[in-house]
Formats: sequence, C-alpha cells, structure tokens
Amino acid sequence: MELMKLEIVTPDGVIFDAEVKQVTLPGSEGEFGVLAKHATLVSLLDTGVIVIEKSDSSELAVAINSGYVKVDEEKTTCIVDGAVALSGDDSDLAKALEEAKTLLKSTESSNTAIAAAVSKVEHIGKSL
Amino acid sequence: MANLKEIKRKIGSVKNTQKTTNAMKLVSSAKFKRTEELAKKSRVYAGKLTELLNEIAQKMQQSNAEGIDNIYFRNVENPKKVDIVFITADKGLCGGFNFQTIKRTNQLISEYQAQDVKVRLRAVGRKGIDYFKFNNVELMNEVIGLSAAPEFKQAAELISEVAESYVNGETDKIILIHNGYINMITQEIRVDQILPVDTSKLELNSASTSELEVEPDDDDTLLDALVKRYIEYTMYYSLIDSLAAEHSARMQAMDAATTNAKEMVKELTVKYNKARQEAITTELIEIISGMESMK
Repeated sequence: MELMKLEIVTPDGVIFDAEVKQVTLPGSEGEFGVLAKHATLVSLLDTGVIVIEKSDSSELAVAINSGYVKVDEEKTTCIVDGAVALSGDDSDLAKALEEAKTLLKSTESSNTAIAAAVSKVEHIGKSL
Repeated sequence: MANLKEIKRKIGSVKNTQKTTNAMKLVSSAKFKRTEELAKKSRVYAGKLTELLNEIAQKMQQSNAEGIDNIYFRNVENPKKVDIVFITADKGLCGGFNFQTIKRTNQLISEYQAQDVKVRLRAVGRKGIDYFKFNNVELMNEVIGLSAAPEFKQAAELISEVAESYVNGETDKIILIHNGYINMITQEIRVDQILPVDTSKLELNSASTSELEVEPDDDDTLLDALVKRYIEYTMYYSLIDSLAAEHSARMQAMDAATTNAKEMVKELTVKYNKARQEAITTELIEIISGMESMK
C-alpha cells in the first residue's frame, strides 16, 4: 500500500509527522478517509477523533477539538487547536483518555458531536 | 576623614546595585529561554496557518476576477476609523524597549490624524497604558498582565472583540504594533495590519494549478473561520514575540548596567585610594613639621 505524509500541528508544536497508510478525519460535513494521492482538499475539522493507520498497520487515535486540514497529492496537514494522542503502548492510557474527554467537552461544538466523539474515544480506549 | 567614609559608602551602594542588575539579567535570561522555546513551537503552527490562508485566498482570487469578496478582505481605500493595538511590557528596566513601541504608536497616530482619520487605541501592557494615561490620551482597552504571560485564550478574546467592531463597521482597519525579537541584541518594531487581511502580503503565486476542493462548500464559512483563527494566532504570536524581545532587551540593559556599575566601582576605588594616600601624606607632613619645630 502506498504511503503518504501526515503532519499534525498544534499551537504547542508538531505532534505527529510520519508516513502513514491512511487517515480518517472528522470533517465538519462528515467523517472522511484520506489515502495517498487524494485530490487537493481543504476542510474544516469538527470535534472528534483522527484515526491514523501507521505504516506498520498499527492504529493511532488523536482526539481533537477543532481545526483545519489541507490535503494534497503528497501530503496531508492537519492544523488543530488542541489534541490528545491515544496510543496502545501508552502506559498511562487512562490518563490520556481522561484528558481527551476533557478536551472534547471543552469545545463549543454541538452536544451530539461531542457525545459521538466521547463515545468513540471510550470505544478506542477499550479496544486498545 | 569624612570624605573617605563617603566614598566607601558609595562603593558599597554601587556594588549592591551591581548585584541587583546582575540578578535581573540572570532572571531574564532564564525567562527568555522559556519564551523562545514557546515561540519556536508556535512558529510552526503560525506558519502552517498562514500557508493555508494563502492558498484559500489565492483560490478565491482566481475564481473571482474582482478580488476576494469577503468582509475580512474588503479593502477600504480611505479608512475613516482605525484601531491601533499595541503591546508593551508590564515592567520597565529594559532599555528603550517600551519607548520604541510608544514612539512608533505616537507617530502612527499623528500620521492618521493628519489624514483626518479617527484613531482608537487599545493597549496591552502597563508601561504603554501609563504613558498614554499620563498624556491624557483615551484608551479603548487596557490589558495588564497579558504581555508578561501570554495566554492564547485571553489574547483571542481581546482580538475577537476588536475584530467584532471591524465586522460591525465601527472601524475600518486594525493595526497591531509590537516590538519584535530578531536576535539577542536586536529588536525591531513590527507594524502589522490585522484586518482587512493584507492581500499584498500574501504570496499569491499563480503557479499552483490543481483544483482546490473546499468543505464546507460555502467558501465564506471556511474563510471566516480561518481568518478568525489567523488573527487570534497573530495576536498570540505577537505577544510571545514581544515577550522574547522584552527579555532580550532587559538582558542587554542589565548587562550594560552591570558593566557600568563595575566600572564605577573601579573608579571609586581609585578615588578612595587617592583620598587615603592624601590623608596619610597630610598626616606625615604634620608629624614631620611638628618634629622640625621641636628642634
């Protein structure tokens, strides 16, 4: 499977920068997946979870409050306001989950969006 | 001798000053490192955001021959009302750092007033507020504490308020002035036009040919959100930049003060030694002449 570059930038710096297989993003018009060679696209991101399929096929989830994404043929750049990464090998996953939930709840998005994102985070927490 | 005592006291006091200035320099250098770290992190984000805004603006300009039709981009030829936001430090003792900003602000005010433009001032930082209050200049906003500890939320709130008055038509132009950091020994006054977004500054190269899809479809929603975030972040970044500059200016000022104090101690010590020598010589002459008269 072809790889593409993914970069996630927050006000605190770059939190993710690597080659990935696929990324699923919470767009404001609905969730969408991006593979390599995707057409150029700019979208608003809503409160939700970014799911990344890394080059070794392991999954990484990043909870975000809001932001933008710019996709072009070779690179996907997410510019987000706040993000908490939830990864399986994290020893303090419980803490990260808590943080993610607080982050999601702190946004001004609609309640349904927040509820959906929180339940998704919980689901990820269980599956990891 | 009274003179000797006086000089000794002076040496002591200058030495104390030297200790204080040296301590302040160390504090500033520690704080500076932290601020620079912060600036480095946020620079990436600011850069990406500007890049994205560039691309969207470029796309919109291409699709619309008359330029970008958005409230944040509407360019008023002759602005009637201008808001100036300026950032100074809360504290002094940093050389000409604050005054440079104030001077530039004053210059801009008189420039605009000469063109019959109404100017409203919004001040961040105690030093600037004090100055304009002393000169009986009205300030729309007075924010203290933000320039010493930039916080994104607070910065965003402040600039959103200003942006709102722009959208409402209360003001035609928003300008941000701050003293920015170049390197350890140089600071530079930066005057940025926040709103309307200065399209001449955006790098609109028509090289990119790829069609840009936008979601949500309505360009304005995305652009509005992006511009808002852009100005919020510009404000925040300017605060950090100003803080870094403040600390570097203070380090420089305190370094100079420490050196000067050292020099002064040296001079005073020479003076003290001379006075002491003189006293001894006088005493010797007195003894010798006393002995001579005994003969």
